[in-house]
Order: sequence, then C-alpha cells, then structure tokens
Amino acid sequence: METVTHSSPFDSFLDRMRNPASLDLVRSIKSFIVSFSYTASNPETDGKRIQEFFQTMEDAIRDHPLWASSSDDETDNALEGLEKYVMTKLHSRTFASTPEDVKIDAEISEKISLLQTFLRPQHLDIPSALQNEAAWLLAEKELKKINAFKAPRDKLLCIINCSRVINNLLLNASISEDHVPGGADDFLPVLIYVTIKANPPQLHSNLKFIQLYRRQSKLVSEAAYYLTNLVSAKSFILDLNAKSLSIEESEFMESMEAARLVNRVPQETVTTIDNRSKFGKLMDPGPSTLLHVKTQTNINGGSNYPYMEAEAGELTVGDVERLLSLYKDVVTKYTSLCNTVRHLSVSRTQRHDESLREPNGTHKDTCSKETEKRS
Amino acid sequence: MGCSSSLPDRSSGRSTGLNNADNPEGPDAKNLRVKLVLLGDSGVGKSCIVLRFVRGQFDPTSKVTVGASFLSQTIALQDSTTVKFEIWDTAGQERYAALAPLYYRGAGVAVIVYDITSPESFTKAQYWVKELQKHGSPGIVMALVGNKADLQEKREVPVQDGIDYAEKNGMFFIETSAKTADNINQLFEEIAKRLPRPSPS
Repeated sequence: METVTHSSPFDSFLDRMRNPASLDLVRSIKSFIVSFSYTASNPETDGKRIQEFFQTMEDAIRDHPLWASSSDDETDNALEGLEKYVMTKLHSRTFASTPEDVKIDAEISEKISLLQTFLRPQHLDIPSALQNEAAWLLAEKELKKINAFKAPRDKLLCIINCSRVINNLLLNASISEDHVPGGADDFLPVLIYVTIKANPPQLHSNLKFIQLYRRQSKLVSEAAYYLTNLVSAKSFILDLNAKSLSIEESEFMESMEAARLVNRVPQETVTTIDNRSKFGKLMDPGPSTLLHVKTQTNINGGSNYPYMEAEAGELTVGDVERLLSLYKDVVTKYTSLCNTVRHLSVSRTQRHDESLREPNGTHKDTCSKETEKRS
Repeated sequence: MGCSSSLPDRSSGRSTGLNNADNPEGPDAKNLRVKLVLLGDSGVGKSCIVLRFVRGQFDPTSKVTVGASFLSQTIALQDSTTVKFEIWDTAGQERYAALAPLYYRGAGVAVIVYDITSPESFTKAQYWVKELQKHGSPGIVMALVGNKADLQEKREVPVQDGIDYAEKNGMFFIETSAKTADNINQLFEEIAKRLPRPSPS
C-alpha cells in the first residue's frame, strides 16, 4: 500500500525525465550527482549544497516548458521525485557518513537495548489509560521501517505515521477512558517509550539525514513538529539517567548493570569473580530458555572450560587450583545469569499483569522477595 | 498494513499529508503564518486552551484534534488579514525541561501558561520567561496566561501578580478559563494583533 502511494508520483517524475525535452534538467541532475560524489564528505556543507541544488532545480522546473501547464501539486510531485532520485543516488555518500555518526548510532542503540530489559511505562509516569500494547506495537512497527527507505521524505513519513498512531491512541483514550487530554504531556512520554521498545536502526543518522536533506520548504508545520519530537526523544534517551525516570537510583544502576551483563556473557572469556559480591545468593531459576542458550554458547565456545572432556582418572593434584578457579567462575556467572533472568521474567509478568489490570499477588510476592534478597 | 489506514477517518478535515500541510500560496502580508510554542507546567491546561481555541473557532462537534499535541488554526482579523497559528505543545514535566529549546527555536510566539491555583506553576512560568529572554528568537511575542480562572475560590496567584510580572517583562497578560472558554479567543486575537507585519514589497 505504502509503495503505491510512494512510487506513482516518482514514476511519473522518471517518465517526464525520459522525455527528450527535459534533457537539460537530466544533465544538471547527473552532473550534480557526479560532482557531489567526487568531493569528500563534509557534514558542515553537504546539507547546504544539496539544499541549494534543490532550490536551483525547483526554479528550473517551475520555468520549464514541460511543466508550464502543471498544477502546483504536479510541480511538487516533480520536486519530491527529484529529492528521492538525488538522495537515493547519494545515499551511501550522505547517510551515516562520518565515524562520529556511526559511533552515536551505536551508543544509542546499545543504551536502548539496556533500557529495554527493565523500563516500564510507570518509569515515565505514563497513565494507565494510555498503556495500550497493541497501539504501541503498531507505532513501533512504523518507526522500525525507517531504514526500508532511502529518501528523506519516506523516512520522515515513518516518523509521522508513528506519531499518528500515538495521537490516535491519545484520542481514543480521551473518548473511551475519559482521560483528560494532555497534549504533549501525554504524547512525548509515549513516543519515548515506543522509541525505546522499537530501538529503530541508526536513529541518530536517520534524524540527521532528514534534517539535512529533506527539502527545507517541507520541514515545517506538523512534519517539523513530529520530527522535533523524535529528536527530542533521542536526546532524552542519550542523556537518560536515574533522575530522568521515576525509579530509585539504586534500582536503576542495578538494572543497567544486570542488562550489561546479559549483553556481555556470550563473549565473556574469563573471570567475573570480582563481581561475585554484587549478586545475591545462588538460587534456582528453574528451566529457562535464555539460560540454556547462553550456557550452550559458552560450552561450545570450547577452550574456556578445558576440563569438559576430561575423565576423573586423568586429573592430577596440580589441576586442583585451576579447577577450583574455573568452578568459581562458572558459579559466579551462573548466579548472575539467574538473577538477571529472574529480573527479566519478573518485569515481564508484572507488565503483563498491569496491562490486564489484575494485580497478581504471587508475582508481587516474588518481586518483593527479590528486592529483599538484593538489598 | 500501513498504520495510516488504521486511523479513523476523522482527520479528513485536516491536513491530509505532507504535501497539503502548507498553504500553497505561502505566507504574505495578508496571510501570516506563525509558529507558536506553548510552555508551562504539566497540568496547567496548556492543551485544553488550544483545544478550546481550535474547536470553538471551527466545528464544535469536531473531535478531530483531541489529544493531539500539534494543532493549527487560522483566524481572520478585522483588517482582513488572516493569521495561521501553528501551535507546538511542549511536555511540561520537569524531566523534559532541557528539551524545550528544540521546540521554541524559530517560534514567533511563545504562550507561557500557569494555573492561578498553583503558585509553583507561576514560578515555573517565570523561569520560562527568563529562559526565552535569553535564548528565544529575537523579537518573539510573549504572552503570559493565568489559566483556570473559573476556580476563583481556589485562587492562590493574585491577578495583580500576573499583571505586574507581565508588565515588567513587556509581555501581554490575560487570565483564561479553558473550561468556560473565557478569554480564549481574546488571547489569540491579541497575539495576532501584536505580530510584526512583513513590510509590503
């Protein structure tokens, strides 16, 4: 559906460009693309150069005989086609083009993946009337599509569609739940939460790309507003600490630490023994697929545990020291994993319970026991 | 399925997409377009003021924009000019305060709202005034609004405090009630009158 609305004006743009009468335009476009491709990336001036080119071409198209009798909409379609054509051709040269952009993208994505393990709507004080998993999922889906497109307009549309889903949720909540409309007080926290759940690819680079290369005359009004909100969400997430959320500082630190550990375990080689004291007593997590997978990875990792294939008769007294240290290592990792897995599953069940609005005694119990054990 | 299709069709009266979001003729001396940013503590009724304004002007049965944080509304003045307000709401919770500059950048108008029953919200409003004086666009038109004027019996911020503070800072001041619609249109009309007009070319 999306492709139809996107591609038909673009096809008509390409058609007109195939018309011999537009040869002069085609030449300008091609020569610009070539000359731009041959200059080194410069984040300071790239945006300006391309915007100036769009402006020059806009004037040329408006004055062109081929568009002489065109309506404003048709001319605008041509300009959208131009943006799409040029930016698709120059995508690899302009998108995430500096090492710094790549670094920020990785930093955001990593931070979000940590937050995903424990962040709940309550941490952003999102009212229960706005907690709607189905709507959030739709909004996340829109945001995740952002890398499926190369043109700034199409990327921006993903953001706008995501925002519309959220607006629609706010609208429904104000009607059916009798929730007093809170405008941006409601919108921004939901957008931030959805962004964290979605972890959209290359968030920073996508936003920068739209800001630099979307035709400036189109970066106004509603589109600019929703773009600004996502920029704002990105900035909030980058700077996010315990004080940004309704959460105890200690709980925040612990959850972030646990999340880091989960992310790290598969690559881990030796010794986390020093961390041993940070985690509670050994407890049985019960069967858990997550745990199973991680253990498998480590065993298959081979050389970390050289005694796996050994027989009792082959061991010597000299092996004891090494065996003991490996044993401690394994126990420490196992304990940490148990804690993390427990924490994750508790968070999930809790969220589930809350969305059903059925406070569940057993889980609350587990949760408070867990807190006791930790402290 | 694209998400846009899952939306109810109530929004058909508004801008239907990126292409139509703009006035095709563009702004000129007779048709102004201005970005207005709304600042103020959460719960002071920022968005209710706007909803009241937008619904009151247009179709009172319209549910179009309830809950939305971006709204636009055009008003006609007596001198036959029109002003299209593009209203940018901001999240008022303290944790988002550092993000405000992203929103007020390039704004021609700032409406700073407090709740007359909440002295804290009045203090917060003064914080925003100072911040805009330092970092807002030069020549930005600022209005100070004491909302919830219908709650006279709970009033904690005297009218005179608002008047004095606004006068000292060269701002327009008004008390409104989004609930009864008191002074809502006046607020936007007064702002419109204060906008700098582009000199006729």
